[in-house]
Amino acid sequence: MLLHNFCYALRVLFRDRMLIFWTYAFPIILGTFFSLAFSNIENSERLAVIDIAVVENEEFTASTLWKEAMAGLSKEDTEEQLFSTRYTTEGEAKELLAAKEITGYFKLSDGEAQVVVASSGMEETVLQYAVTEIAQTEKMIGQVAEYQISQGVMPTEESLKKLSEEVLGQVQQEEGIRDASNGRLSYTMVEFYTLIAMTCLYGGMLGMTVVNQNLANMSHKGKRVVVGPTKKRLVILGSTLAGYVAQLLGIALLFAYTVFVLQVDYGNRLPLIVLITLVGCLAGLAMGIAAAVLIKASENTKIGVMLSVTMLGCFLSGMMGITMKYIIDKHLPLVNRLNPANMITDGLYALYYYDTLERYWFDVISLLVFAGLLLAAAMFGLRRQKYDSI
Amino acid sequence: MEAIIEVKHLTKEYKQVKAIDDLSFEVKEGEILGLLGPNGSGKSTTINCMLSLLQFSGGSIEMFGQEMKPDAYEIKRKIGVVFQDVAVFDELTVYENIDYFCGLYIKDKETRGQYIKEAVALAGLEEYQKFRPKQLSGGLLRRLNIACGIAHKPKLIFLDEPTVAVDPQSRNHILDGIKALRKAGATIVYTTHYMEEVELICDRVIILDKGKVLATGTCDELKELAKADEKVTVEVTGLREEYLEEIRKLGQIDQASYDGTSLVIHYQKGKNNLLTLIEYLKTKEIYYSKIYSERPTLNDVFLDLTGKELRD
Repeated sequence: MLLHNFCYALRVLFRDRMLIFWTYAFPIILGTFFSLAFSNIENSERLAVIDIAVVENEEFTASTLWKEAMAGLSKEDTEEQLFSTRYTTEGEAKELLAAKEITGYFKLSDGEAQVVVASSGMEETVLQYAVTEIAQTEKMIGQVAEYQISQGVMPTEESLKKLSEEVLGQVQQEEGIRDASNGRLSYTMVEFYTLIAMTCLYGGMLGMTVVNQNLANMSHKGKRVVVGPTKKRLVILGSTLAGYVAQLLGIALLFAYTVFVLQVDYGNRLPLIVLITLVGCLAGLAMGIAAAVLIKASENTKIGVMLSVTMLGCFLSGMMGITMKYIIDKHLPLVNRLNPANMITDGLYALYYYDTLERYWFDVISLLVFAGLLLAAAMFGLRRQKYDSI
Repeated sequence: MEAIIEVKHLTKEYKQVKAIDDLSFEVKEGEILGLLGPNGSGKSTTINCMLSLLQFSGGSIEMFGQEMKPDAYEIKRKIGVVFQDVAVFDELTVYENIDYFCGLYIKDKETRGQYIKEAVALAGLEEYQKFRPKQLSGGLLRRLNIACGIAHKPKLIFLDEPTVAVDPQSRNHILDGIKALRKAGATIVYTTHYMEEVELICDRVIILDKGKVLATGTCDELKELAKADEKVTVEVTGLREEYLEEIRKLGQIDQASYDGTSLVIHYQKGKNNLLTLIEYLKTKEIYYSKIYSERPTLNDVFLDLTGKELRD
């Protein structure tokens, strides 16, 4: 019986042109627009390596930390390269700045790190940020050395070098710099993550459609199903499984299209990406089932609610601009914690940007809890056996 | 005959309105029971309550000797329903639709295949098995709707206005199909507001209005309830008022009216009335183009009982 329902529900879904469009074609069309629109913006806004000068005075020459830090950030043809550095006198640096050949220059004077720039802008900010971070590192190393001496341990050159490398590594890993400097990373990715989230949540439409077809108060077909001898939950299970399969196919098509045609790089954690997508699809389906069962309104109203919730969720999670995601994360974190679109987007984001998986698992579990609660509520609603009116 | 359905004191209220008011009746095995009444009389509501789709305020419903409940799956297995609205999947073909709904009752594919074949033949859909519902005419769609409801060979069939808005050819086909189902042993509850259909196929009729039973019986028994036993119509022009007054005094006449072209006379008893009238017209040299006699219809019964027509 389950298989009978599953097969026919799948057949019905695959022959529904509207659903085919919204589930399969629309995300692909939107992805194509994203690719066309954002790739140009990103190329124009990507931060190039910044030309700077370093005043090579005695103080700088004497500081191993500053020398290594600047050399590390200026290493050519590496992903970490932030600066193209010329080592000059202060006079030459001033001339280069006046000729606009460099963004700014840096000098050590009386133990203070100074940055001289001619104007303000993104590149100037990055230079200032990097120098501040290195200066703080230097201070920290000094404090560590003092502490070790007070404990009767003489810090070795090797231990200090190790410490400075660790802190310097952190400077290069800082999101603000890395996002802007690393060509492989892009905020466009967030748009594609929200596109995946949207496709997952569009599964709610499938869920709603198949459930409506089995509810006596929502469709004539539902009346016919309910007067039959098959348990309502069994019929609905078969139908929703079909909806899930149809939805997964939609996601698979979207992945295939974005990877092979649009050349989107989702990173190298494919099993984890697949996992969060499966869970995201389940959350979408659960939304549709819950809306179908719990909302007392016409099918059109339910569809309107589903579409609105999905689109609003995607908007808040950064579909129309990554800034929105940051604003909501910062000022209304609870909203994004409850937003399934953000849970999916954020999980993918965490997989791509962070080495650790804590944030990813938090999102996966949040999605599972979200889906579980909605399904439980829907099951409770399905206990209703008779209607006041149909 | 054993009663397959027993409805006792069924009451259904929508807020302050009583859609069904203390309705009681039985359906005997093998009979076709007609629920006759105008739109809004409570026919579909009664069916939906009997099928446990609607909550009802009071009363009880038993089928096959057991209480009918939403989880009475053994009872449901023996029931087939054809709803007033066509309930099929637009995305599936005629054959697939019947197979899907039949599959909710019959698991075995081979048996199902045979049943579908028979349902298709009964509905006269042999040539349309690969058609989608949107490719079918209104009449064929209704036939598909019926085939989906009866393919699993139910012992008890509910047909809720199955002939609404269909062409005469399809209507005849559907009515013949219903007779064939009864012949095959099914018990049928048939709702309609077409009195001709009821007279044609129903063994017994319940006349409903505003959720109440107005009358119950066979068609002939119900017609006995009509005030007039015979209606005679004479197509005549220029009938003088004095003649009309004399006609009214001819005897057995309950009512006589003239609208300028037709003289309509209702007789209390239906014997030898036409002969007397013709003799009078001949004596007075009143020339008419047509004269005919009719027995009272269920509509006349309904008119007498409620003061309104069935189709009002």
